[in-house]
Amino acid sequence: MATGSNDMPDHRKRNTFTSYVAPMAGDVRATADTNEWCLPSDLRDVHLATPRMLSGEQIVASAPAYMYSPIAPMEGSGNSNSSNSSSSTSNSINTSIGNGNGNGNNSSSSSGGANGQRYSRGGHKEATFGLLSVTNFKLAFVPLHGGQSAQSAPLASDLYQGNNFLGRNEVTLNNIDQIYTIAEQGRAASALQAARMAGTSSRRKKLEPAKQHNLNGRIVALHIICKNFRLLKFAFQQQDSKLSGASDYGKLIASALARFAYPMRHDLSFAYSYQEPYYSTLVGVSMYASKNDWARELIRCGATEWQVVSASSVPLLQNRLHASKYTLPPHFVIPKCCEVDRFLQLSLAFCDSRAAFWVYSYGSSAASLVRLAELQPSSQQDTKLENIMLELVRKCDERKQLKLIQLTDQLPSTQDVQRAYHKLRRLCTPETPEKFMLQDDKYLALLEKTNWLLYVSLCLRQASEAAATLRASVTCVLQESNGRDLCCVISSLTQLLLDPHFRTIDGFQSLVQKEWVALEHPFQRRLGHVYVSNSEQAADSEQSPIFLLYLDCVWQLLQQFPDEFEFSQTYLTTLWDACFMPIFDTFQFDSQAQRARAVSEGRLVLRPVWDWGEQFSEKDKMFFTNPLYQRQRGDLAASQNYRRSLAVGGQHKLLSTTGAGGPLATSSPSRYTINPQLFATQSTVPQDRYLQPSHRILDLSVWDQCYYRWLPVLDIRGGGQPQVDLFYRLMLSNIAKAQRCIDLQSFEDLPDAFYEAMGEQRPSQQSLRDQDQRQQEEPVEYVDGVERRRKTDPSAGGGASTANGLNVVNGGPMQLSTLSSFFPFGSPIAGDAPHELYDILSGSTELLLDTSSILDKSSIV
Amino acid sequence: MDATSSSADKLASKTASSNSLDSSSKSSSLGSKHGAENGQQRDTPFVYLDGEEDQDQKNDVTYVCPYRGPVFGALTITNYRLYFRSLPLRDQEPPVVVDVPLGVIARVEKIGGATSRGENSYGIEIFCKDMRNLRFAHKQQNHSRRTVFEKLQANAFPLSYSGKLFAFAHAAAAAQPSTANAAVSAGWDGWAVYEPLAELRRLGVPNDMWRVTKINEFYGICDSYPAVWAVPKAASDDFLRRVAQFRSRCRLPVLSWMNPRTQATITRCSQPLVGVSGKRNADDETYLSYIMEANAQSDKLTIMDARPSANAIANKAKGGGYESEDAYKNVEINFLDIHNIHVMRESLRKVKEACYPTTDDSKWQTAIDSTLWLKHIRCVLAGAVRIVDKVETMSTSVVVHCSDGWDRTAQLTALSMLLLDPHYRTVRGFEVLIEKEWLSFGHKFQQRIGHGDNKHSDADRSPVFLQFIDSVWQVSQQFTNAFEFNEHFLITIVDHLYSCRFGTFLCNTEAERVAEDLKHKTISLWTHINSSLDQYLNPLFPSFTHGAELVLRPIASVRAVRLWRGLYCRWNPGLCTPQHGCQRTRELLSKQDLLFKHVNELRLKLNNRSNNMQTTTRLASPMH
Repeated sequence: MATGSNDMPDHRKRNTFTSYVAPMAGDVRATADTNEWCLPSDLRDVHLATPRMLSGEQIVASAPAYMYSPIAPMEGSGNSNSSNSSSSTSNSINTSIGNGNGNGNNSSSSSGGANGQRYSRGGHKEATFGLLSVTNFKLAFVPLHGGQSAQSAPLASDLYQGNNFLGRNEVTLNNIDQIYTIAEQGRAASALQAARMAGTSSRRKKLEPAKQHNLNGRIVALHIICKNFRLLKFAFQQQDSKLSGASDYGKLIASALARFAYPMRHDLSFAYSYQEPYYSTLVGVSMYASKNDWARELIRCGATEWQVVSASSVPLLQNRLHASKYTLPPHFVIPKCCEVDRFLQLSLAFCDSRAAFWVYSYGSSAASLVRLAELQPSSQQDTKLENIMLELVRKCDERKQLKLIQLTDQLPSTQDVQRAYHKLRRLCTPETPEKFMLQDDKYLALLEKTNWLLYVSLCLRQASEAAATLRASVTCVLQESNGRDLCCVISSLTQLLLDPHFRTIDGFQSLVQKEWVALEHPFQRRLGHVYVSNSEQAADSEQSPIFLLYLDCVWQLLQQFPDEFEFSQTYLTTLWDACFMPIFDTFQFDSQAQRARAVSEGRLVLRPVWDWGEQFSEKDKMFFTNPLYQRQRGDLAASQNYRRSLAVGGQHKLLSTTGAGGPLATSSPSRYTINPQLFATQSTVPQDRYLQPSHRILDLSVWDQCYYRWLPVLDIRGGGQPQVDLFYRLMLSNIAKAQRCIDLQSFEDLPDAFYEAMGEQRPSQQSLRDQDQRQQEEPVEYVDGVERRRKTDPSAGGGASTANGLNVVNGGPMQLSTLSSFFPFGSPIAGDAPHELYDILSGSTELLLDTSSILDKSSIV
Repeated sequence: MDATSSSADKLASKTASSNSLDSSSKSSSLGSKHGAENGQQRDTPFVYLDGEEDQDQKNDVTYVCPYRGPVFGALTITNYRLYFRSLPLRDQEPPVVVDVPLGVIARVEKIGGATSRGENSYGIEIFCKDMRNLRFAHKQQNHSRRTVFEKLQANAFPLSYSGKLFAFAHAAAAAQPSTANAAVSAGWDGWAVYEPLAELRRLGVPNDMWRVTKINEFYGICDSYPAVWAVPKAASDDFLRRVAQFRSRCRLPVLSWMNPRTQATITRCSQPLVGVSGKRNADDETYLSYIMEANAQSDKLTIMDARPSANAIANKAKGGGYESEDAYKNVEINFLDIHNIHVMRESLRKVKEACYPTTDDSKWQTAIDSTLWLKHIRCVLAGAVRIVDKVETMSTSVVVHCSDGWDRTAQLTALSMLLLDPHYRTVRGFEVLIEKEWLSFGHKFQQRIGHGDNKHSDADRSPVFLQFIDSVWQVSQQFTNAFEFNEHFLITIVDHLYSCRFGTFLCNTEAERVAEDLKHKTISLWTHINSSLDQYLNPLFPSFTHGAELVLRPIASVRAVRLWRGLYCRWNPGLCTPQHGCQRTRELLSKQDLLFKHVNELRLKLNNRSNNMQTTTRLASPMH
């Protein structure tokens, strides 16, 4: 109370980092010694547990706290698998903690806290003790482990996704959406108990960053809800009231978060503090940051009736006075039959000056996909201008036909999407097991009430309609109020349905650059990177996860066409997480102009998110590829053609100079446009690989990997998609290995499956050594001090191979078994991702990335 | 032998969710060929089964198809099936075909009278056990409806009309010694799949704690139990007789499964006859302590009562009840909250309402939610997972019962055994599991399904076994590569659960089956399945032999279970979704096999050459 409130008004004015001081390690120790309430003996070591920091990162506040594990499998079922060793250890844990719980006394907490961990009745680890820190970049929890065992857990063999900038128990401040404070309960004996009760209590209060005087009363726990569906729960130890308020750790953290997780201006974001230089290693992604990128796309699509305009070379836009009337992207494509000045004049009538922008053309007649905003409210009575605009677009179509799809009538508003997202997230972030079961009882009805799948269904429907229009060689115009939200969704989906190039990783990233970044989806407002303070309603109406809606639609396509996409669902999930990494500029800005200003004024270092090597190791990047993807021959030829035309212009150049002589003479291209007719007349997009998805709600499902991955209670250990993916990867790696053996004429390094198929023993020394080891380990086994009776294998499984018997546990060449079904997300357990996996991964990835792979070369019988 | 085996390859590549019964009729080429000739008797476009004979044939019947509207065509009724084919239409559309085994029919009703007006208002409506209704319209003038109705009644409900089920006629006609011998020698014979003693031996019984007894060889002690039991060694036969008296219908605790490694067991029984007064029985208490002591790993015994606790208490009024923790030492009792057969029947009826004939996409989720079917499935799964936890994680023995121990108990024991023991996840193992836990322990199939019986509103009918198959499907969806069989295998089992073509699911108990001599007078479903195994295999299964997790713990949450559209919604052509991925799997697997063979050849060649080299060098240098 005392120190916090004294400083407060000062802080609110300046909002800087320096006025916040992290408690010294010494302070903590002092309270620990004097307090009647027993802190864990490790507490004096809390200062050792500092989070790893980036350059430019500063600690704002830190406090000892308990972090709660998310809702775990019922009755501790998840923490052991069938293997001998682990079941025996889990037994010992169960017995040792059974007594320390449930007394609800002051002293009870110390027995559990002795090794810094607490357990619920079922033997599941309920909370971990450690140091919670708020920095200007992230909220970090560093557990204080009882021994070195936990230290050694995240080793190289851990194949779960790691991030170079974030640890497993860390979230960026950008990711934090809502914070709930749980105030002190009258008769709660311990912090843990209070936090447990908090699920039902009315003392759970939403933290309003604008009004910090809300923070009265002691805060015993915090619930933090992240934009990526993660729920973090922390509990703080209560202090004796005689002691100063400085040790009200809950309040310390809460007020630090209130200030730093909700920046009022974007330049307070960590993006500006992180000044590390960036050296691009990016190849293959079109950034659409230059005129040439657009021109290449025009050529690839064979769109001859359109021209690229760069704002920087239009004289009118050089005039400050005039330019301020427009909110145009730096480059855009307009009908060639329209003078640029005329176009600019017309565009003033439209919201955000978004008159018809070309984005894509399909088919031999190059029917175009066009994005258009609605007329400004002031000029809505007069639809003449809109008609003129549409007439200009129509002129570009070979058959002079056009279909206008008004998205505003057909699709939810941004507010609707936000509401649906909130409801969906509530279903995915239950605070207590009781809440989880309550939701579960009415789950389908609740899911329907969120409307999320309805909106996904509507988007897929509109995209299918647009794609069908283009396939019928009719130009399609998508119209939406400002042309920057659902237009992006429908336009991108349409192109995904039509064009296999966009289903490759490079192509998909180029598509996001084109539709979302270059044509300026307002990421900053929609993702809530800046907190709008003046009124709560304004903030609500601006924020909306339109991009997540798009990713969900893509995920549904991936479910319906599992072999059509080069990327995996892991890639899509990672992309949603990447939206909250301020270090990468891709999803940080509303417009290109804003980005340019940030670079010039705020000395921001631009760092595209597509350079995944910045965030992830090689093995993490491997999970971005889909093992089922088929790079069919038709597509292969086309993409190679495409690459060639990118590099040298290809043969199209020769063809077109003769063919396009006529129009060249008539329309004189002005010096600030590139005339694509100089290069090509024919689309190089293959036309036999379009997708026709189902958009019925009953054919859609919930994106479990993205939405449920923080709920271990829904983790199917050893099941789900990852297991199937691994199976495919194993097959691919076997094929690659066998092929290599044939190529090299050496048969030393054959895959295990080969020996199994041939019914042979693997002759290598490695396995012999393994067997020796196993024999040494086997003879005696103790469980809780009782020798376990070991039965000799009673002829496991009549006639079946021994692998089907019950007794083979340690044996077998590899154990692909206990991976999380959210893998590479979800929570790893010891030894569940063995090193052999890495081998399989790299083997299969080799084959997947090799475009001229043997899979395509040799026909499969 | 029949259409299914001949078109096995076609089926294998098709979606697994297709109907296993009318596999031949789905191919349109067959249809167009025979469409014009439907007037002739023996040239109908389906393949007659052995022993199948025409009963009635009508050429001027309209099938009121809920999807394509009324179609005019010919109706054939045999002693096995009802078959309708529409007359060829002008626009090259494939004809509408309805092919329903009569065993599937639950109820036949006349609609409209002589005076009813309007098109297609006079005819017959057929309600099926497999989630569909069929409506045929007849002309009022020619009395065609009467004979059809009578033939349907007589052949669909033979037991109500003192006839015999088709399975007997089928087997009698198929009884050619050559085929029967072929089945036996090829190891297909379904009646030989389950050998109680061999199965017990696989589990390590008899051993120093458990013995096998044939005390019930003539079904004298318990008429709904099998002939062979495994019981604790400490219990003598006389003792067992006394214990049986304290259990409902004498169904005393008998071994279902044992973990050969830890010796934790699953035993099953019926409720104890405690009654309102809270009777105790020293023998029963001792017997349970024997079961506990047979497992050295734990000093506790867990009783899983499948019922909701309120129901268990209510059963005391009828003389039943549950074990009190005071009377039984070291026993812990849990209630698994699974509702009774009547609740399940009602729930499935609602599922049918939501799925057939049409669905409302915008209200789909709420409609499914309100059936509560998924919630019931969740309860069964959760119960099984709890049993698995006790047996595997805690190494505690578990006793499972409900009221009579033949419905919910069978679900729980069979499902938990499936989760615990990978053997039951193979085709053969699953057949054994059904034979053992469902058939030999007396799940009353005859009563629950009502084979050949016209009492369609009988309160004893209930989809208990279907619910078990659904639960298995849920597990197979969560662990895609843990099962040797595919969805089509499960659908085939459900289809022949009703069809009465095979003897497997006839009668209520093992005693009745022996009395009826089903083994010799009917064919087993497993013979049929094992003779064309390819179409029932899951291509993803091979990966599981790589030492993958042996115990499955499915997620029992409505978030993780789904409505089985491949089964419940399969009659709606709009709801069939093509399944991807399978084709690619087969491609990759065959590619891998080809390469392996190639490698092997090359390697052998290389080995031969180097062997030759070695021998030549040896010859060349005689010093060695």
